[in-house]
Amino acid sequence: MILHEIIASFTEPINIPTDYKSMLWLFPLAVAGVIVYKAMKVSKITPHIFLKEVAALFLFLIGLLIIITLALLVLTTILIQ
Amino acid sequence: MANIQKHTNPLFLIVVAIVSWLIPGAGYLLLNEKKRAIIIFITISLTFTTGIYVASIGVVDPLNAKAWFVAQMLNTPFVAILGSISTGSNYPVYGRTYEIGQIYTSIAGLLNLLCIVNSVHLAYTRAIKPVGGRL
Repeated sequence: MILHEIIASFTEPINIPTDYKSMLWLFPLAVAGVIVYKAMKVSKITPHIFLKEVAALFLFLIGLLIIITLALLVLTTILIQ
Repeated sequence: MANIQKHTNPLFLIVVAIVSWLIPGAGYLLLNEKKRAIIIFITISLTFTTGIYVASIGVVDPLNAKAWFVAQMLNTPFVAILGSISTGSNYPVYGRTYEIGQIYTSIAGLLNLLCIVNSVHLAYTRAIKPVGGRL
């Protein structure tokens, strides 16, 4: 019964409204990309080193995206005015 | 010495690539990189499953979204089974949910392509490096 419900949940899309909050779906994808990339690049995987590397790259990536977003926002505001 | 000969064998590199494609991360298992294999398998599987959960199985569409399907197929050839199931039925897919599902499933496939290339490269580099050499 539970298995049936789990399988059934993959046949109906969940509800994601078209607003700015839907952009938050970027974060899990960014985490996945960073984990896979670091799993390939770290020479010796230990939990401490790996988590540190993943956190550093993730924060760098998100920080960069925020800076680009702000720069585009400023540019757009200037162009509109 | 036997290990080097095994790794320089082009057939071994092809086997690593095929196994990596069949099961994400499995190529690293052949190279005795168990931790790497587990991390990659879990991450790619979760990303793909999230995409399917968000947008429904209909997001795997070999007829109307061919380019996306190619990227999704990079996860594993078993995605073709999902494609045939979704083609035969009318699973609802729409809007932002559809986009997010496509992006998740396709990015998972492209990440697996990266892992396939990397595992083959790792196998090849180990073969030409001295014994005990690590990347």
